Amino acid sequence: MINDVDGAPLVGRAESLEAIRSTLASTGQGQPTAVFLTGESGVGKSRLLREVGSELRDAGALLLTGACLDIGDASPLHPLRQALRRLDTELTTGPPNASSALRGLLGVFADQASGPDGAGALLEQVSHGLHLIAGGRQLVLILDDLQWADRSTRQLLLYLLAGLGDLHLSVLAAVRAESLQGAHPLRRMLTELRRLRTVRVLDLAPLDRAATEQLAAAVAGEALPTAAAEQLWQRSGGNPFVVEELARDLRDGRVGLSDTLREIFLTRVEALPPDAHAVVYAVAVGVEPVAHWLLAKVVRLPEDELIDAVREAVAHRLLVSADEGYRLRHRLVAEVLEAELLPVERAALHQRYAQALTGAHAELHQARLAYHWRLAGEPVRALPAAMAAAEEAERLHGYVEAHRHWSTAVQLAETSAVGATADRMMLLERTAEAAHHCGEHARALALLEEVTADAAQPACGLSIRRARYLAAAGRSALAEAEYQRALAAADCTPRQRATITAHLAELLLHLGRYADAGARAREALELADAVAGSTSEVVLASAALGFSEAFREDPEAGLAVVRRALDTAERSGRPEDVACAYLHLAELLTGPLNTLEEGVVVARRGAERVAELGLGRTYETRLLAIAINGLFRVGQWAEAEKVAAAALRHRPSGADAVEVLLARCRLSVGYGDIEAADRDLDAVATLCAGGGARHVIPLLTLRAGLAMWQGRHDLARKAVQRGLTESRSDDLVILAALIWHGLRAEAEAHASRSISVDETAVRRLREAADRVAHRAGTAARPVRSVVEAFLALCAAEVSRINGNDPELWARSVAEWDRRNHPYPATYSRLRQAEALLARRSRSTKAGKLLRQAYQSALGLGAVPLTAEIKTVAGRARVALAERGAAAGSPTTSTPAAGGELAALTAREREVLAAVAEGLTNKEIGQRLFISERTIGVHVSHIFDKLQVRTRVQASAILLRSQPPDAH
Amino acid sequence: MSDVVWGCVHRDVVDLLADRPVDVPAVVDHLTKLQDLLDRRSSSEDTCPLAVFNRLYLTITERVLEGLYEGFFSDVVFLSRLDVEFAARYFDALRLWTDSSSRCPKAWSCLFQRMQGPDVRPLPSAAAGINAHINYDLPFALVSTFDSLESEPVDGSEQHNDYLKINDIFAAAIPSLRRGYLDHWQLVIDVLNGDVDDWYQGELVEYVRDVAWRNAKKIWRCRNDRAAHEQERLRLDNHAELLGRLLLSPLGAYLQ
Repeated sequence: MINDVDGAPLVGRAESLEAIRSTLASTGQGQPTAVFLTGESGVGKSRLLREVGSELRDAGALLLTGACLDIGDASPLHPLRQALRRLDTELTTGPPNASSALRGLLGVFADQASGPDGAGALLEQVSHGLHLIAGGRQLVLILDDLQWADRSTRQLLLYLLAGLGDLHLSVLAAVRAESLQGAHPLRRMLTELRRLRTVRVLDLAPLDRAATEQLAAAVAGEALPTAAAEQLWQRSGGNPFVVEELARDLRDGRVGLSDTLREIFLTRVEALPPDAHAVVYAVAVGVEPVAHWLLAKVVRLPEDELIDAVREAVAHRLLVSADEGYRLRHRLVAEVLEAELLPVERAALHQRYAQALTGAHAELHQARLAYHWRLAGEPVRALPAAMAAAEEAERLHGYVEAHRHWSTAVQLAETSAVGATADRMMLLERTAEAAHHCGEHARALALLEEVTADAAQPACGLSIRRARYLAAAGRSALAEAEYQRALAAADCTPRQRATITAHLAELLLHLGRYADAGARAREALELADAVAGSTSEVVLASAALGFSEAFREDPEAGLAVVRRALDTAERSGRPEDVACAYLHLAELLTGPLNTLEEGVVVARRGAERVAELGLGRTYETRLLAIAINGLFRVGQWAEAEKVAAAALRHRPSGADAVEVLLARCRLSVGYGDIEAADRDLDAVATLCAGGGARHVIPLLTLRAGLAMWQGRHDLARKAVQRGLTESRSDDLVILAALIWHGLRAEAEAHASRSISVDETAVRRLREAADRVAHRAGTAARPVRSVVEAFLALCAAEVSRINGNDPELWARSVAEWDRRNHPYPATYSRLRQAEALLARRSRSTKAGKLLRQAYQSALGLGAVPLTAEIKTVAGRARVALAERGAAAGSPTTSTPAAGGELAALTAREREVLAAVAEGLTNKEIGQRLFISERTIGVHVSHIFDKLQVRTRVQASAILLRSQPPDAH
Repeated sequence: MSDVVWGCVHRDVVDLLADRPVDVPAVVDHLTKLQDLLDRRSSSEDTCPLAVFNRLYLTITERVLEGLYEGFFSDVVFLSRLDVEFAARYFDALRLWTDSSSRCPKAWSCLFQRMQGPDVRPLPSAAAGINAHINYDLPFALVSTFDSLESEPVDGSEQHNDYLKINDIFAAAIPSLRRGYLDHWQLVIDVLNGDVDDWYQGELVEYVRDVAWRNAKKIWRCRNDRAAHEQERLRLDNHAELLGRLLLSPLGAYLQ
């Protein structure tokens, strides 16, 4: 073969190979694994990718191989699409169903239409497509030159690595180390991912002296003389690519005077005949891989001569030929050659590429056309291509890429050659909109500024847009002023007036100005009444009014308004209006009003309704997340678990996925299912590596809670410390929960003597609690009420470190009972009993509290808490089994079935029924849509509560206690 | 060959750098451990310029951490991320230097090279460290921070105010630098930057930190454009190296 790319042996990489293999093999619970190779150019990253790839392929894995391009954000998800097309050509002989799944997925990219949750839906479709293609096999995604990946590709990677794609997946990617300097987005992503157990970031160093000589000897066919070896070591610095090339020169008797790669390759290019010379430079200017037909059009040689020229270039080890086209031997070579061309030569080649591509469709058609025309110095022709590329990117929700293409278009339009032909206003506006969509709010505002500067445009429309951008950038005060300006504009239509006023009301609500928000909302409702088809405004304004009334302590009035808005939406609104109305209603009920049962019912009914309306992915997931959190708080954990499983079946992405995963993790921490909790926390951390700082504190709070059940109070302390230094001071509830976890960790460390109490940490936590208490003074009543309940816990934990006052715990019990949150109430009861027992007084009361707590903890399924109650009871010789004492408890959700099964939760009874049918844990898991492991946890709870040791004994109790007519 | 980079504490430094701190308490912990190692490495504590810089940086980071705990800043999330990103770059430079990598920023390597030298004057060297960290690392740390928080650099924003508050911490932490050298520094900086107008209060750190903020805004605009971004990075590296070399040159002695 003339293509001896991998001709040289792999030298000095045994350790790295082993590390990659072991990381990829550690795919324990079906969690995706990943290895990122970083290193400088030529160090052999791609070589290792190929090596590991072919090993995995031999072991039966399905490989998808793609490379990112360096022509700017070429096109969303380009490397994946390239990988799929490559697989498509390979699969022509393969199994037909994989092939049709593959075509289906490629079709998704071609036909994807913008929708309300387009970006998320695309991720889901892609992962579903990959699932079908893999057909149960291990899927290995190999990505080269990841430093050039577009944002969409990075997001997809995180989505898949978070395990949301339900795939047996491994990712193997190469990243150039030099690009990780500066502010490259991958830099931070890799720092975050590095901490996960399933991800490995390997830095490939240059070869050492011995390995360098070994490689050189292998290439040259014999060991080099000492002087030559020394020289080669000095020149190559152990870079395998350079070593290989230098050794080859030595072997072939070329005088190696060249000290740099540049010289090595330029000498080689100079040795080429003219045609081959032209071919090499043409490829250097093109976008790799350059297809044969395209090369033919650019170098303009007759077919036979072209083939000879290509052959020559390949033989000189400059060019590599593959099915899809030609590329230079290494990116380094392309960089050397490109720098050698004169500007006019380069422009002329770009011109030819552009002309050739104009006539024929190719991969990345518009992006490439725009690229070549621009560099050919033809802005007039580049402009339409840039615009088409931008629209193509928007269709696939790649707003970063779209923004770049639009920006290019604006620049092109500014050149004098284009001048009057371009609609500059339109370009600026679309660029601004794309910038807004990808979070570049300052840029969007600056662009809008330019539009305003020379606009005969209606002033109101522009003001509304500016206000929208300002609000999105979090600059609320300026946004408010801008909305006011829009209202005052002479050309403001009644419809616009209603829209503005509704948005103003929402903005004021976020600013905490409830009275103003209420007044604006009423005004907006009046305005909207007069305009047909303004249901969205009605829903928005009603929600603002509802919340502001609730915050101003007239909950009933607020509730009535939001209910009415739901009716209006159902009667005359778009599906999104209905979904929003449900969302607001459920949030109002479970949030400020704390009527959790009703809120959960509304959320679940809403979820069903929006699913009917076809908005399953986004709104249904959000509504279900509200339901899960509500169910958790009222203590119906089994039900919450079921809802979480249903919500995840939609494969949510982004913030929606994070919400559901955090909610499920909260359950796992309560259940004491450490593995499951860890997995969800890792998944959340993965998703947050792409941005999303606001979920960090709940994540850290859960980590702390989990660490405490494991007796790792040091880890809990660390998590809380990090949280304290990163929490926004206005998130009072989240902060209060975090502070409680911190104080609890210190108190438990004190009680268990696992580590010594950190007095400084306690002082800081108490100061933080004081600040929260102070700020809560001015917060809305519903917020104040939750914060006070957490602060009661904090005060009691502090007393646990010095003295342990049962009265403080009693206060906490009362606070949480009042709010109908059995979990923290139960925890507080346990501590109150503990404090009473420590004073050796009132042990009757302590016993009663323990029994109450025990019943409630059993009802929840809170295993670690139950265990602690048992320990305390055991120490105090309190008998827990006495029933009846629990009857007075306001916190347990009374189980329907009586007798021996009374202690089981609804979910546990379901599991027990399935056990009695003789199903295995796996089968039960499939039936109930929960993991096999969770079933295991349930089964052990059942054994525990029924005090049995085998499935048969458990089944016997079930049969015994069933009413006779059920037989 | 690379075993001698950190002398007798080489192994410990390598182990320390293998771990990457992800929050401010961990950064303080890391800097403290590094300080111990650097002090152990050199017999008398004033002879290692890096130790002098590290002590200063540790003091500043400890005060930032206190500020975070005490609610001194309005946007805690922003400032924590920034502090971690900022420190990560110092540790990166140390790691690259340890590996004898050619990718070690020149702004830093011109200081690291001096560690063994006989003519080391610790205070200007520490100043060279501040120069590298603020002139080169800080703008990129700012951009990464804004990027990860899905926010952006806006003058007069909460983040900008918090960022400026750090100047007070610097000012309190380095009174000796302020009193002793600033008049001379002003001269040096005027020569290098040319922008005399920007020199408003005669406070070095405040001045360069403001330059860093403006550079961050510049990088922010071109962060998705690889070529422009790399060009900007090289420009900053060259600029910081030049200033660093000047501080380390005999002229630096004049500053002391």
